[in-house]
Amino acid sequence: MKKLSLAVLAASFAFVSHAFAAEAVGTNRVINEFPDGSISQEEGLENWQKFFEVASHPRCANCHVGADHKPMWSGPSFGDKARVHGMNINAGESRIGAETLLCSTCHVTLKEPDPNANSIAHAAPKVAMAWQLAPVEAEWFGKSSSYICNQLKDPTRNGERTIKEVAIHLDHDLILHWAWEPGGTREPAPHSLQETMDALMKWSAAGTPCPE
Amino acid sequence: MKLTVNGNTEEVNVEPDMPLLWVLRDELGITGVKYGCGIAQCGACTVHVDGVAVRSCQMRVGDLDGEVTTIEGLGSAEKLHIVQEAWIEHQVAQCGYCQSGQIMQAASFLEFNDDPTDEEIDTAMSANLCRCGTYPRIRTAIKTAAKNIREA
Repeated sequence: MKKLSLAVLAASFAFVSHAFAAEAVGTNRVINEFPDGSISQEEGLENWQKFFEVASHPRCANCHVGADHKPMWSGPSFGDKARVHGMNINAGESRIGAETLLCSTCHVTLKEPDPNANSIAHAAPKVAMAWQLAPVEAEWFGKSSSYICNQLKDPTRNGERTIKEVAIHLDHDLILHWAWEPGGTREPAPHSLQETMDALMKWSAAGTPCPE
Repeated sequence: MKLTVNGNTEEVNVEPDMPLLWVLRDELGITGVKYGCGIAQCGACTVHVDGVAVRSCQMRVGDLDGEVTTIEGLGSAEKLHIVQEAWIEHQVAQCGYCQSGQIMQAASFLEFNDDPTDEEIDTAMSANLCRCGTYPRIRTAIKTAAKNIREA
């Protein structure tokens, strides 16, 4: 925990010269705000690319699947070929498996966050909230950078959120924290949660530009 | 720490990161629940926590939040659970090792859906492995149990 706090502190300092304001949210991350127009289009696109690298990473995309409600198994720990989650898993329209088999039957719920809870490589990961798929509107798996970019800033598909609210949501949703501390032999999502939140805020300040 | 299993309050002196399965089998001597893989890949260790199926090999006892039911507490010798009755009617078990997990999973599933299609049964039960391959009989027994629940 101490190491993490130091990293967050360092990230906060890194942005102090550009940041409009730093607002504490969720756990121990902060929202760094940047005045509209203070970030160039080019820098905005660079920051979008940073977010896309996170969104398209298996730790995130495997559960951001479409209307077939089937989570994916992809990434280095699953070999070269992406495949659907074993055991015929289907999370259903509920996205938590309520229709047939709850995700939380195997991905059990912790009482509180514990980075040591997922040390066994092939066991079902668990976090301090009910395991679930992302909403179907937030389908990311196999989607292009341009598609996800336009989706993320579309209030009808992002839960009626501003980009700042999306960034805050990243910190509040404990299941997302696991992506950076997945345990076992799973590859963590790139960058860090704080860097990802900052990338979103910079992209927003640049006017949310999207790649072609 | 204290936990409730099959309606009984139990006190155990264990580390909070001990899997519930270990507590049930080794500390409380409740051996109907089976160890299969230890990583939620087979379903042999399925129990209920407040009526919902949970793989007890994955649940650290310190994270337990609810009353536990094992196969021993699902029904009784005098009055079997509807799923157990259907299991006997269709003679589902072969070696039997996975069957307590299968029955606990099926009983939990039927609480959510008492008129399942074959596809729904397969989706709900595919994470419970049976090396003897009793799957056709499992599906038939679940159909019978569902019918009996609806008519009860």
